[in-house]
Amino acid sequence: MSGLSRRHVLGLGALAALSACGGPARGPDAPMTFWQFYAPAPQQTEYQQQQSRWFIELVEAWNSEHRRKIELVYVPVRDYLGGAKLPTAFATGAGPDIFLLSPGDFLRYYNGGALQDLTPHLSRQVIDDFMPGTLETRTVGGRVFGLPMEIEPMAMFYSTNAFEAAGLSEGDIPRTWDQLLGVARRLKAAGQRGMVFHTVPGYYQNFAWYPFLWSAGGTVTNPDGTSAFDSPATVRALSFWQEAVRSGVSPRTLPGEDDPTVAFSQGLVSLWHRGIWTVKELQDVPDVRYGVFPTPVPEGGSYTTSLGGWAFVANARGRDPEAAAEFCAFALGSQRPEAVQRIVDWCIKVKTDIPPRRSALDKAVAQGGFESGVMRTFLRDVLPGARGEPRLPPVAYKAVSDAIQATMLGGADPKAAASAADRAITAYLKTYRGAEF
Amino acid sequence: MNAQTRRERIAAALFLAPDMVGLLVFLVLPMLLSLVLAFFQVDGFGGIEFVGLDNYARMIDDPQFWVSLRVTLAYVVFLVPLLFGTSLGLALLVRQKIPAVGVFRTAFFLPYMVSVVVVGLLWRYMLGDDIGIVPSALSGLGVPAPSFLGDPAYALGTVVAITVWVSAGYYMVIFLAGLQDIPREYYEAARLDGAGPVRSFRAVTWPLLKPTSFFVLLTSTIAAVTGGFDLVFVLTNGGPANSTSLLVFYVYQQAFQFGEFGYASALSSVLVLVLLVWSLLLFRITKAGKFSYDDA
Repeated sequence: MSGLSRRHVLGLGALAALSACGGPARGPDAPMTFWQFYAPAPQQTEYQQQQSRWFIELVEAWNSEHRRKIELVYVPVRDYLGGAKLPTAFATGAGPDIFLLSPGDFLRYYNGGALQDLTPHLSRQVIDDFMPGTLETRTVGGRVFGLPMEIEPMAMFYSTNAFEAAGLSEGDIPRTWDQLLGVARRLKAAGQRGMVFHTVPGYYQNFAWYPFLWSAGGTVTNPDGTSAFDSPATVRALSFWQEAVRSGVSPRTLPGEDDPTVAFSQGLVSLWHRGIWTVKELQDVPDVRYGVFPTPVPEGGSYTTSLGGWAFVANARGRDPEAAAEFCAFALGSQRPEAVQRIVDWCIKVKTDIPPRRSALDKAVAQGGFESGVMRTFLRDVLPGARGEPRLPPVAYKAVSDAIQATMLGGADPKAAASAADRAITAYLKTYRGAEF
Repeated sequence: MNAQTRRERIAAALFLAPDMVGLLVFLVLPMLLSLVLAFFQVDGFGGIEFVGLDNYARMIDDPQFWVSLRVTLAYVVFLVPLLFGTSLGLALLVRQKIPAVGVFRTAFFLPYMVSVVVVGLLWRYMLGDDIGIVPSALSGLGVPAPSFLGDPAYALGTVVAITVWVSAGYYMVIFLAGLQDIPREYYEAARLDGAGPVRSFRAVTWPLLKPTSFFVLLTSTIAAVTGGFDLVFVLTNGGPANSTSLLVFYVYQQAFQFGEFGYASALSSVLVLVLLVWSLLLFRITKAGKFSYDDA
């Protein structure tokens, strides 16, 4: 090699390596980033690809009209939900400009000053257009900090095949907890699988359990912000899930690796407490026959269920918080017909959800989104009386989670577990500084 | 010091420098920063406030900390001896002159080369209550299968067993290297003196393998205390009922799921302290790893 010594090569290599560490240049006019978990991947199912396309088209629509561009950044769903990527990015001041947030995480980001006020970009008419239970968990002091893209209520899914094999019909659909346990026992006795409540500790398990707490008349905190967890209602709700596992009608782990297509098609489940998104997941699975009914209530209890769903939020410390907030309003908080239609498309075409705005819901109904049996049941029977997922600070969430896990899978005394969680929440609230919940 | 020695020392320093810089920047500095952070409340959004020893006081009142410490202790107490015995046993087996021994060595080492996340997913499928091959096989034999990952009585044991499956091959290689350092003549002499395999092991192998055993014991304990996170994250997410919530998993939860970086740092410092005490104890017992074979 002439004219280029080994030392030169090493030097150039080191230079290249060092320059690679800096990452892409990010000037003041660099596009804003939008982090979410709907990646375009050809190996995915058709509906998953449609979900990804919806995001791409949304960003394209924005980019075609605005000087400040946006680029999508995909984070694998497991990493997004419980992983380190998002917290690490915020901790290092490199958080996304726009991202998706669930109510369970809302307070952490709000109290950290990471959420931009979206209210200036929303008209009163649009705010009033949102359905009850959707904006409350994203609002502080009358200011809106997140716009929901969907409403996802929980209900009981049942396998029609399993019901028929056990000699059960629609007339046997349970309305109370005792009836539910009775049906599950009959299914098991007939050689079918039982009913599934979520077993993995985390925000989602709490979310799935709240309807049982609420319908028994309980709540995690009082309106004045003090703990209300040590109550007979809590004990009753904890005891119900515990009894389901103890009696053997509910499994200790999720069937089919938490995949309803596997679980329902292979007969691994008869009853499953899941969200409305399951309808889409089961849509293209051949030979799966199923129905849906509202979550049963305890004797003397009143019906409710929890409303999940993700929201668009803007980073108050991003490159251009006002533009990011404007984008959230552009996507989900605009009165433009195409914006409303976009929500409709998301909720009834690429997913099976309930639109969070009345105008979008009316359009979705008119476009036939709720004509199928199960979607009609969700709109007519499951949604009325539903409540938004509470936003709890992490310590309170963890206390509730520990109580559910200890009783459901650890066999602990529900009264003792409720008291222990109550003590943990009360101790934490004494020093809590942040938005109300 | 002559010029030659000085040049050699400079060369040695230059060769060591990249490693030392890497260690300082990526290990020592973060460790020191972590110890400092333990005295602050850090919210992960730029908010930082000096709180003195509050994080340590909070730890004492935090029941989950004690649960996680207990789980970690149980994990180490079961894992380290099991790993030690299994890897030593495998090393003794694959040292034998048997056909295709290379295939066995490779097979035992193979799990260590696979990503722990893949291992976790694989075992989750194999142990799944409804479609797992292991519960199905047990049921086929008429043995009622427990819920390996859903019952607190079995979950930690399952994690320990999988960890042994993953890591035994690695420690087997270390033991194998130690065994191959023992001169064949010693075994020959023992055999002439009438020693059988057990006596040979006790009189020759075990004492001469002490430095290797010390190394395995020390590194496997450190790995047990600081590791296990990936497997728990994939297999159980700390459940059921916190039965697999290792301290390292709780540290992760506090830092990245709850945004309590200061408290997580305080928890980490306990891990460092535990390891420090254990390492010093081991060094003291073994006279810093220098063994006197005359005591054997």
